[in-house]
Amino acid sequence: MRKMGSRFGLFLLAISILWAPVLSDLVISKVDRRIDLTSQIARITSTLKVENEGSELVSEVLLAFPDVQTKHLAHLSASSNVGKGKVRGSSNSFTVQPVNPKGMPASLTFYSVTLPKGLGKGESLTFDVLAVLTHTLQPFPEKITQADIQLLVFQETAYYLSPYAVKVQTLVVKLPEARIESYTRIHNTKNVGSEIKYGPYENLPPFSYSPVVVHFESNQPFAVAEELVREIEISHWGNVQVTEHYKFVHGGAQSKGEFSRLDYQARPHVRGQYAIRRLVAKLPPRAHSVYYRDEIGNVSTSNLWSDSMKTELEIEPRYPVIGGWKTAFTIGYGLPLHDFVFQSDGKRLIDISFGCPMNEVVINTLIVKVVLPEGSRDISVSAPFPLKESKETKFSHLDIAGRPVVVLEKTNAVPEHNQKFQVYYKFNSLAMLMEPLMLISGFFFLFVAGIVYMHVDMSISKSSASYLAKLQWDEVQAAIQQIQNIIHRGLVIHDKLEASLRDLSRTGDIQACKAARKAADGSLKELSKEIKPLLAFLQSSQQAAQILPKVEELVAKERDLQERLMVKHSTVVDCYEKKYGGKEIENRVASQLQKITALRLEVDDLLEFIDEI
Amino acid sequence: MAPKPITSPVPDAWYPTLSVVMLSVGLLFTASFFIYEATSSRKSRSLAKELTTGAVASVFLGFGSLFLLLASGVYV
Repeated sequence: MRKMGSRFGLFLLAISILWAPVLSDLVISKVDRRIDLTSQIARITSTLKVENEGSELVSEVLLAFPDVQTKHLAHLSASSNVGKGKVRGSSNSFTVQPVNPKGMPASLTFYSVTLPKGLGKGESLTFDVLAVLTHTLQPFPEKITQADIQLLVFQETAYYLSPYAVKVQTLVVKLPEARIESYTRIHNTKNVGSEIKYGPYENLPPFSYSPVVVHFESNQPFAVAEELVREIEISHWGNVQVTEHYKFVHGGAQSKGEFSRLDYQARPHVRGQYAIRRLVAKLPPRAHSVYYRDEIGNVSTSNLWSDSMKTELEIEPRYPVIGGWKTAFTIGYGLPLHDFVFQSDGKRLIDISFGCPMNEVVINTLIVKVVLPEGSRDISVSAPFPLKESKETKFSHLDIAGRPVVVLEKTNAVPEHNQKFQVYYKFNSLAMLMEPLMLISGFFFLFVAGIVYMHVDMSISKSSASYLAKLQWDEVQAAIQQIQNIIHRGLVIHDKLEASLRDLSRTGDIQACKAARKAADGSLKELSKEIKPLLAFLQSSQQAAQILPKVEELVAKERDLQERLMVKHSTVVDCYEKKYGGKEIENRVASQLQKITALRLEVDDLLEFIDEI
Repeated sequence: MAPKPITSPVPDAWYPTLSVVMLSVGLLFTASFFIYEATSSRKSRSLAKELTTGAVASVFLGFGSLFLLLASGVYV
């Protein structure tokens, strides 16, 4: 009944608009309309040949759509084909914008196509108008069981609705299957295979209208995304991360009765053939780290193919989605930075496609969020169609002020909106160093905390015996360390002296050797001076009582070693001055040499022993 | 001026290697820092040496962990 009512309404509309005034001297000499209903999206391509029969220049052509269609109109574009015939040459598109001309019927919405060159007297122009409609294919019956086939109803006018007179026109409706339940027959109607042809009709006045209804079989899944949120996050460290949150619903005929998985599995082409089985997302080439998951976790039923031109992700929902059922999932992938982000005139821009990467999906609300790096300024958006734009801030890894987010919203998006858009912004490369600096300062605070802990005295009772003992022990330790240090330095001087002796035997330069001896004498004296107060402190300290003998032994042994070394040194130098032979020298120092090696070993042992305390 | 593609300052392929190298160098410095803290006595400790060792270690650890994040797919 509803259908009949709407038909009657359309009829009234037809009557009411028949008497509207004629707008200008334009005449449409030929209209070919092709309506493609093979998917859930209705695409109406009209090829118009417009002729100017008046004398003035016309630069505007009006297109009329009934309000019933305007509601569902997702995309409207006009373009002229330069190449003739079916070969699509380079097409230049015209601006199309909604207008509100006076004296026109209220139930129509008008769009004006601006012709850049204008149309002079007697001239004609051919151009294409593409209108994309969503949600116009009504399932009838509205509820079907799993075994039923899906039938759809589509309403249109057989005559081209136009404010201008139309001389010749045809209409072709292309259906997905050859099975047609019924269609309105008016004169000159033909059905060939899966196509219905209306026309040609000749010499019709402006606003001619003849509603036709086609009722046909279509088992196309109606993949409708109620909401799709695409988040595009730029990282200048080399990645553009895209995350897409889908909320899908099957927008076709509602399912009635029960669903049998067994039937579906056994005879998928008879039982539930209109279900959404799989979806294919065409991702850009070089996409990596692709995932497909939902609230439960990873969904393993997906496949990925990639070549140099594209990456194809085939996903299968957890269950076949039949009429009215819903499913929600998330897909995500990373893209290389240099494919999408560019620098131009001091500004950076991301150039990426707007719509959903899946085929033939209608999106009721499409939200695209472009997350720019922290510190981006002067953000502007350039898109090929009007969008609702807003800004927000997102906090992500290692952020202080948050990242600026451009939120773009579009309702009723179709694959035709899959065009590239640009977001321009300014960004200083040095701001990239913020993240490592944060990490570095984090680690540095850790080290500083360690240093502070080791330096700060945190005992509560500053006068307790154990605390005082600890303090004293610290001092003793420091003194011992200093003594060790001095002894080490002394040993280094000893080594230098030995080296000077070796030089002497090689070059025979007695003066150099003597100078070395002098220098060593001086520094050794200083060292012994330094060691004295430390030893005195250790002797006075009770805490050092245990270790004191060892330290004293060490000092004594070192001094002994030092003296013997001096003796050896003097002897050797003496021998050289008196020009004794090598054997003679060896004999003279042999006894000293043995003792020196023994003492050196003892000193080393003692040093090690003290070290371990 | 034609738009020029922007690339990351360090090629993506280097991230794993860089993170391993810088983290190990950083951990070596950390080890030397804590050895110094534990072995030197309170009086003989030098603050400048502690701070420099800590600073060098934190620079290496900071960049190392950044590259580790990047290599594991967390693009900051």
